[in-house]
Amino acid sequence: MTYSVQFGDLWPSIRVSLLSEQKYGALVNNFAAWDHVSAKLEQLSAKDFVNEAISHWKLQSEGGQSAAPSPASWTCSPNLRCFTFDRGDISRFPPARPGSLGVMEYYLMDAASLLPVLALGLQPGDIVLDLCAAPGGKTLALLQTGCCRNLAANDLSPSRIARLQKILHSYVPEEIRDGNQVRVTSWDGRKWGELEGDTYDRVLVDVPCTTDRHSLHEEENNIFKRSRKKERQILPVLQVQLLAAGLLATKPGGHVVYSTCSLSHLQNEYVVQGAIELLANQYSIQVQVEDLTHFRRVFMDTFCFFSSCQVGELVIPNLMANFGPMYFCKMRRLT
Amino acid sequence: MAAFSRQVLDWHRLIPLTWACMARQTLHLGEQRRTTASLLRKLTTASNGGVTEELSCVRSNNYVQEPECRRNLVQCLLEKQGTPVEQGSLELERVMSSLQDMGFSNAHINELLSVRRDASLQQLLDIISEFILLGLNPEPVCVVLKKSPQLLKLPIMQMRKRSSYLRKLGLGEGKLKRVLYCCPEIFTMRQQDINDTVRLLKEKCLFTVQQVTRILHSCPSVLREDLGQLEYKFQYAYFRMGIKHPDIVKSEYLQYSLTKIKQRHIYLERLGRYQTPDKKGQTQIPNPLLKDILRVSEAEFLARTACTSVEEFQVFKKLLAREEEESESSTSDDKRASLDGDEDEEDEDNDEDDDDEDDDEAEDNDDDEDDDEEEQL
Repeated sequence: MTYSVQFGDLWPSIRVSLLSEQKYGALVNNFAAWDHVSAKLEQLSAKDFVNEAISHWKLQSEGGQSAAPSPASWTCSPNLRCFTFDRGDISRFPPARPGSLGVMEYYLMDAASLLPVLALGLQPGDIVLDLCAAPGGKTLALLQTGCCRNLAANDLSPSRIARLQKILHSYVPEEIRDGNQVRVTSWDGRKWGELEGDTYDRVLVDVPCTTDRHSLHEEENNIFKRSRKKERQILPVLQVQLLAAGLLATKPGGHVVYSTCSLSHLQNEYVVQGAIELLANQYSIQVQVEDLTHFRRVFMDTFCFFSSCQVGELVIPNLMANFGPMYFCKMRRLT
Repeated sequence: MAAFSRQVLDWHRLIPLTWACMARQTLHLGEQRRTTASLLRKLTTASNGGVTEELSCVRSNNYVQEPECRRNLVQCLLEKQGTPVEQGSLELERVMSSLQDMGFSNAHINELLSVRRDASLQQLLDIISEFILLGLNPEPVCVVLKKSPQLLKLPIMQMRKRSSYLRKLGLGEGKLKRVLYCCPEIFTMRQQDINDTVRLLKEKCLFTVQQVTRILHSCPSVLREDLGQLEYKFQYAYFRMGIKHPDIVKSEYLQYSLTKIKQRHIYLERLGRYQTPDKKGQTQIPNPLLKDILRVSEAEFLARTACTSVEEFQVFKKLLAREEEESESSTSDDKRASLDGDEDEEDEDNDEDDDDEDDDEAEDNDDDEDDDEEEQL
C-alpha cells in the first residue's frame, strides 16, 4: 500500500501534514447560547466555514452557473455552525467549557468530519441511523441539525459507546437524550439489514478504518505493520458489509453517506463499488451514487480535495488546511 | 613557509632603507619632486652594501612611495592627530613607512590610524605586525580592525601568545581571515574557552586534529557556542541525520543554527524526502546532499530539494516551533496530542474529566525495524 503511487506528487505534502499537528474546527452547540458562542469564536478571528460555503452556494445558483442542480437533492444539512481559523493560521481554540445553560459551548473536531454530515442533507422530520457512531462527533452533529425525529446511534465497541454517551451528556439537554428521540446501542452494525431493514431516511456509515493520521504517528501496534497485514486485508470486507447493512436499513428513496478517515482507495471507492454490487447481485436493490461536485466546489476554500476519486470526495491534509483525511460518498437507494 | 619567511626578511631589511629615505627627506624639505628612479639611485649610494636586490624587489612591489606624497601625508596626519610635530612626526613617519612596507596603501593607513583611538602607534604597529605574521593580507587586517577596534587594546604579549596558540591549532598561514571576520573574540576570549571547544570536538565528537582545524577555519562561530549546544548539534547530524565526520566537516554543517538545521531536516523527513540511514548505513531513497539542504537559500531549498510551496514551509516552521516549545515544557495535559489506541480519532477529547480507558498509547521507543517492517508510506 504505497500512497506515493496513488497520490504521486501530492504525497509529500500530504505526508508532512499527517505528521504535523492537525487543525480543528469548533462545532457550535445549538443547545447552548449559540449566537453568543458564535460571537465569541468570531472574536478569535475564526470564521464559520459552513456559513461561507452556503453563501457561495447561493451566489452560484443565483448566478445561473453551470450544473447547479435542483435544490431538493442538494441542500446541506441545516443549522450546522462550525468555526475554523484561516488558511495557514495555526491558532488553537481554547478547550470547550460549559456555558450558561449547563451544556458545553462547542465541540472541537476535525472540521472535515462535518462534511459527511453536511452532505447527507438531513431534512426536518428525518429518521436517522448512525451505524458506527463512536466516539460521537458526527452523532452530535446530526443532532445539531435539529432534523432528527429519531436518531439511532450504534457502535460495536461498548467502551467507545460509553464515550459517545458522555459526549451526549455534556452537550445535549436531558429532555432530548432521555426521550424517545435518541437511542444508543452497542450491537454489530452488519446485522442492521435484518434488524431494521428499509427503515431510515438518512443513514451515516462512518466505518472503522486505518485512521491514517494516527497510524503514521504510532510505532507500536501500527496497522501498517506487516504483522497486521491480515487485519488490513480483512478491513475492506468488513467495511463493505457495514455499508451494505446501512443500505439495507435505508428506505427506498432514502440516502446514505459512507465515510472513512483513510486515504486508501481500497477502503474508499472499492468499498462503495463493492457494496453497490453486492446489493445489486444479492438483493436486486439498485443504488445510485450521487455526484458531489457542486458540494465540493463550495467547500474548496476551506479544504483541499483530491481531484481524482472515481466516486465520492476525499479531503486531503495540507499544511495550509490540515484537516482530514476524510473520504465520503453519497448514495441514494433507488429500490 | 619559505615565501612567508622571505617576505618577513625582506621587510626587516627594508627598515634601514626607509630610514635612510626619511632622513634625507627631513633635510630636504623644499626639494622638488623626484622620481622613484632618482631616489633609488640615491639609495644605492647609501652605506648598506648589497642592497640592490632588495631595492628592485621593493620597486617591483611598489613599496616605496613618492617621497613628496608621503611628506604631505605625514603632515596631514600630524595635523589630524594633533601631536607635537617634531617628535610625533618622526614616530608617525616610522610607523607609516613600516605599514607601507607591509603593503598597506595610504587609504588603509588612514583608516588604521583613525580607528586606533588611544592605542599608541607602537601598539598599533605591533598588533598589525602580528596579523601580518599570521599570514593575513593588509586589506583584511584593515577590515578586521575597523570592525573590531577593541583588538588594538590587546597587550602585545597576550597577542603573541594567542598567535602562537592559533598557529598550533593550524590557523596560521592565512587561514585566520575568515575566523577573524566572524569571530574576532578569538583573540580576546580566554584560552581556556577555546581549549574547551577544541577538546569537545576532539574528545567527545571524535574529530581528527585536521578536521578540528578545518572546522575552526570554516565555522568560527563554534567558538561562541555553548558547549552543550555544540555537542547536541553534532549528535543531531551524526545520529539523527546519519552524517559522518568527513561530510560534517566538508559541508561546514556546524556553522548553521540548530533551528535552521532542524527546520529543513525535519521538513524533508516528514515529506518523505530524507531518511535516517539504518544500522548498515542504507536508506530506501537517496538522501539529498547536505549542501542542497543547508547551503542553499530558502527559495532554492523549497524549489529544488523540498519541492513544496513557500507557504507550506512557512506554516511548518511555525508548527515546529510550537512543537519544540511544548516538548520542552512537556505539558502532560496536552490532550490534543494524545494518541491513544482508539481507531476513530477524528474528534478531539472535549471532556474535561475524561480518562484514557483504552491505553494502547504508543511509547516513543526505538523500533527495531528489521523483523517488523512497516509498509512504506
